[in-house]
Amino acid sequence: MKYTTKTRLLRVFIYTVLTILLIICILPIWILIVNATRSTAEIQQGISLIPSSNLVANWDNLTNRGFSIVRGFYNSAIISVSVTVLTVYFSMMFAYAIHVYEFPYRKFLYGFVLILVMVPTQVSIIGFYRYMSYLKLTNTYIPLILPAIAAPGAIFFAKQYLEAVIIKDLIDAARIDGCSELGIFHKVILPIARPGAFTMGIFAFVASWNNFFNPFILISKMSKYTLPMLVQTLRGDTYRTEYGSIYLGLAVSIVPIIIVYAIFSKYIVNGIAMGSVKE
Amino acid sequence: MITLSKNVELGKKDSYKINKKRYGYLFTAPFIIGFLLFSLYPLIYTFYLSFTDMTMMNKSYKIVGFDNFKNLFGDPFFQKALVNTWKIWILNFIPQIGIAMLLSVWMTNNRLKIKFVGFWRTIYFLPNLLMPVTIAVLFFNLFSFYGPVNQLSVRGGIMEGAMDFFRSTAWTQSIVIFVQWWMWFGSTIIVLMAGMTSISPTYYESAMVDGASTLQMFRKITLPLLKPVLVYILVTSLVGGMQMFDIPYMLTDGRGSPSGSIMTMNVLMYMKFSSNKGHIGVAACVGMIIFIITCVAALLIMKMLREKDPYIKKKKKSKIVKTVGGEM
Repeated sequence: MKYTTKTRLLRVFIYTVLTILLIICILPIWILIVNATRSTAEIQQGISLIPSSNLVANWDNLTNRGFSIVRGFYNSAIISVSVTVLTVYFSMMFAYAIHVYEFPYRKFLYGFVLILVMVPTQVSIIGFYRYMSYLKLTNTYIPLILPAIAAPGAIFFAKQYLEAVIIKDLIDAARIDGCSELGIFHKVILPIARPGAFTMGIFAFVASWNNFFNPFILISKMSKYTLPMLVQTLRGDTYRTEYGSIYLGLAVSIVPIIIVYAIFSKYIVNGIAMGSVKE
Repeated sequence: MITLSKNVELGKKDSYKINKKRYGYLFTAPFIIGFLLFSLYPLIYTFYLSFTDMTMMNKSYKIVGFDNFKNLFGDPFFQKALVNTWKIWILNFIPQIGIAMLLSVWMTNNRLKIKFVGFWRTIYFLPNLLMPVTIAVLFFNLFSFYGPVNQLSVRGGIMEGAMDFFRSTAWTQSIVIFVQWWMWFGSTIIVLMAGMTSISPTYYESAMVDGASTLQMFRKITLPLLKPVLVYILVTSLVGGMQMFDIPYMLTDGRGSPSGSIMTMNVLMYMKFSSNKGHIGVAACVGMIIFIITCVAALLIMKMLREKDPYIKKKKKSKIVKTVGGEM
């Protein structure tokens, strides 16, 4: 390979920029994880990039002050798993119907879903809150879980995925074999679409796991707090000078996601690309 | 017997069409019901509430017409929140799209042959997946008076004494802008690169034969063909930016301190909602204003970027919507 001097210089420059951006991305997260293992005194002395040995002490300190992290984890997991299942199942079902069945308003319905993707949804939270408190559903997880049935972004993704993988002959063959329409969806389509469903699921899970605003408005009981709501208490007075414990609490909230990302980053990155560009 | 066989025959003839219609409705019904119950109704109800003086304390309330809207636009707090939201969004978006564009061009360029493209992208996207609340608390600690940033810059001789970042309005705003940029530039790179790699290489090849420079190719081929993707990035970023809450709320005291410099519209909505009296009506009104502003701005962006370019103007409206509507 031959490069001109100009190209070679440009390449050096580009790699430098890429490396600087890499450091900007990683360094805050690395400091966070390292500081989770250091004592408050060590943290105040200065930055270190090497983990220390104070993890257990920080953990005791953190959990002794009412930071019920296991509970928060459990609550968040229940909500996020339910949201994921509902979103994937019903979005696939909707996209499948739009793709396979001919019925009036089909085009209109899909166009409408696409417009919904662009509509800001958080702004109707006040009405949603009043409505849910009228139904006595505040401090339950129902208002956090059930709306996942209607997920326009997931439908958009599912439609594109199904377009690529569905073979109509297969559906006809299943019909001739006497399979019901719902049976076809369950036994033929969902297994075929598993990789797409998996990608959708990761996005639905992460969005729900990180969601702070909705539970913050709808949940007030400490025992029902989700993980982001617990993290929010780390800003309060209880841990004012316990830096090691604060960092540990923060680390606990993001390390699971980092692990998931390390394993499935290919799915996630491709999912982002696929969700935005239609060929 | 006769009637039965007749039925069977009829059924066979029409079974496909009738079934398909029915199942089309059946399979789309959960979404429609969910949407009506959990999205449309709350939105309409919020709209209704924005015309009332409802509070948490009082059971009775009355319709006050456009009073809430008038009061808000006359309220210096709201004006500040409006300006802040736009300022923070624009100042984060420009470097975000600029840097992402530059990196995407570099990483997709055939002459430069940058290596490990997948690796760089994967790392740059990581901040986007982390809990925004955690990121806000993390950056609060990093930039706090005894925090690592001060330690480094004082010891490194960059600053003479420790700096109280969260007492300075300019610094606090800059930190929010930086964090927003930090969280989103990786995602923008992925989308831009997907858009760029879907452009057929034949365009570039024939341009190269004609002796076009890299810059010319970028301006005449990449940018015009990338326009739908750019509209998508712009609109989704706008929708997110207008609703910005987690970072500005968690970074300081939840009221946009210092002196309201990072109070966004959504933070103001929460302040009205959680105030002592619990101004439901006013908070709903803030929500509706965000809704209207976002929708109008999104439509304007789509209209402007569409009309400027004859190539895209020719396409049907639905096609633009299709490309734009891909937020996950």
